[in-house]
Amino acid sequence: MDLTILAYPFLFAAIYFEAFLLVTFLSRPARAARAREISTRTPVVAMVVPCYNEENTVGGTIDSLIKLEYPPDQLRIILVNDGSTDNTGAVMDAYRTHPQVTVIHKENGGKDTALNAGIAAAPEAELVGCLDADSFVEANALKEMISSFDDPKVGASTAAMSVHNAKSILERMQNAEYILGIALRHILASINGLYVTPGPFSLYRRDALVSLGGFRSGHNTEDMEMALRMQRAGLIIENAPGARVFTKAPKTVPALLKQRVRWTTGFLRNMLYDYRDLVGNPKYGALGMLVLPLGFLAIIGGIGMFFLVIFQAGLQLFDTYAITSGVPLLYTLSTFIPRFGPVEWFYAPVSLFALFAVVALIGSILFMIVGRRISHTPGSIGLGILAYMLVYGLIAPFWLMRAAADVATDTRRSWR
Amino acid sequence: MSLFTRNALIALLITVAIAATIFYTVDYLNRQRVEELRAIEDQLATDTLSIETQFALLAEAPCEGLSENNAFSGELGGLGDRLAFTEEKLGATDPEVLRIKERYTLLQIRDYLLTKRLAKTCDLTPVVALYFYSNVPGECADCDRAGYALSYLRQTYPDLRVYSFDYNLDLAALKTLIAVEKIQDTLPAFVIQGKRVSGFTSLEELEATFPKGLLVPAATSTATSTDN
Repeated sequence: MDLTILAYPFLFAAIYFEAFLLVTFLSRPARAARAREISTRTPVVAMVVPCYNEENTVGGTIDSLIKLEYPPDQLRIILVNDGSTDNTGAVMDAYRTHPQVTVIHKENGGKDTALNAGIAAAPEAELVGCLDADSFVEANALKEMISSFDDPKVGASTAAMSVHNAKSILERMQNAEYILGIALRHILASINGLYVTPGPFSLYRRDALVSLGGFRSGHNTEDMEMALRMQRAGLIIENAPGARVFTKAPKTVPALLKQRVRWTTGFLRNMLYDYRDLVGNPKYGALGMLVLPLGFLAIIGGIGMFFLVIFQAGLQLFDTYAITSGVPLLYTLSTFIPRFGPVEWFYAPVSLFALFAVVALIGSILFMIVGRRISHTPGSIGLGILAYMLVYGLIAPFWLMRAAADVATDTRRSWR
Repeated sequence: MSLFTRNALIALLITVAIAATIFYTVDYLNRQRVEELRAIEDQLATDTLSIETQFALLAEAPCEGLSENNAFSGELGGLGDRLAFTEEKLGATDPEVLRIKERYTLLQIRDYLLTKRLAKTCDLTPVVALYFYSNVPGECADCDRAGYALSYLRQTYPDLRVYSFDYNLDLAALKTLIAVEKIQDTLPAFVIQGKRVSGFTSLEELEATFPKGLLVPAATSTATSTDN
């Protein structure tokens, strides 16, 4: 029984999405976004850093903000200690004397409450940047983003994220994925198709945030919820691919699973409970008709393909065992050893499934290269791409399955 | 038309074009495989005729002329492997596969007859196994196991010649062979050194069917390859 036929709709959808991305990348709005000049405008900007138990990284985050190439009198840095139980408060207080820095200590209430406290503390700001306390901005990042707000309908702008100091296989894999995300965000922003303003660094028009009622928990994905609320309100979410921000990525598989389960359950709950009206709604263009439906399909496809592979491999293993039992194992093993010599094209493992999968994979790699080029992200991503190809597919189904199960059983997990 | 709609339609066209190219590529490769099978098959037909002609010409001393040069069976084995691979790709009911399979079966029968004639004339004792199988689902539960066990025996004993026949192939010569060898429809069925065996239980049992001392392991064999 060959069930690979079930994989074709998902592979077709993946290639279709990549083709759509390619066409949109070459379209005028995306080209115009890439050619956008750095603005000479310097509106008052408040950079809010919500922080809970980040004593090891928050110092670096604050230092990177202080080094921003932006007129100091126009830049406020608001550090919000959300009831940390470690040394975070003391690290923040060490910056109190800096003229640009304001430190707020509050009881623990969640990231959304910390962000709102920071926004409230900067009434004079035209733009509000939200930066996670484990992320570090490049000196020119803010300048790169200002021109995104030339259009008054723009409510937010996203940056180009990559992994800070990616060394391990897991970190390199995530780095490749983040760089793929840079290309995706750049392209989808050109048709207002973004549904998340990532926490590591996004810039918002303060008026828009206030008029929408500030941040909400959003099922532990306040950045996604805010982006969806902006979309529903008819605001535009822009992207500045030259605004680089580096963020710490989970170093272990359990930590990665935890983070991704939170992201995926956040997506599913926001879509199913609060923003269902956006899905499949032509009023929201690419977001409603393509991005959000494909988000669902990606979750179903990721889980489905995993089970398909497990089922096919199990079946193959069972058949092989049944056929080869009784024959010396050494002989069976020898048939799996690749023979060196002239390659016979006749036996080339070319099948519909293999070719569809290769095209989809090449598409992903192409957009990783695009992401790196448009953001000028430093460092090589060759190993990251390899890790992404080999490891990602083995881990992702687990967070997709756990997230789907959590939503189905209404299981709520803590942030960390 | 909005930019999104335009791009969505262009993307659809591109995707359909990619899918069509993929379908065409796979189909082209399969057609090329069939072409190669035909080429090998033509070569084998010529080789068969050549050997038979040589055999007729050297009627006085056929053994010296033929025993050294008979690499024919190896080629036949290569064709068999390729045919099995193509059958897996295109399906057992594909008309092209069936046509080549029929010709391959004919070549096998001719090689088998030639081997028997050589054995008789030159006083040789080739180790020959005829193997009858079925591809029809549910008709032969042990055929895959039996086929695999024979592959192992062929690898272990290079002197062993195995001729595999699809029992259900609609070919008059094969039906005659089945009738001559008195093969029943209990599959898998074997004719080993003239002895008929039905069913398959284990490798050891199959190995024991061969007359003692006839099968010489690869390490001690001095014969040229007769891999089928």
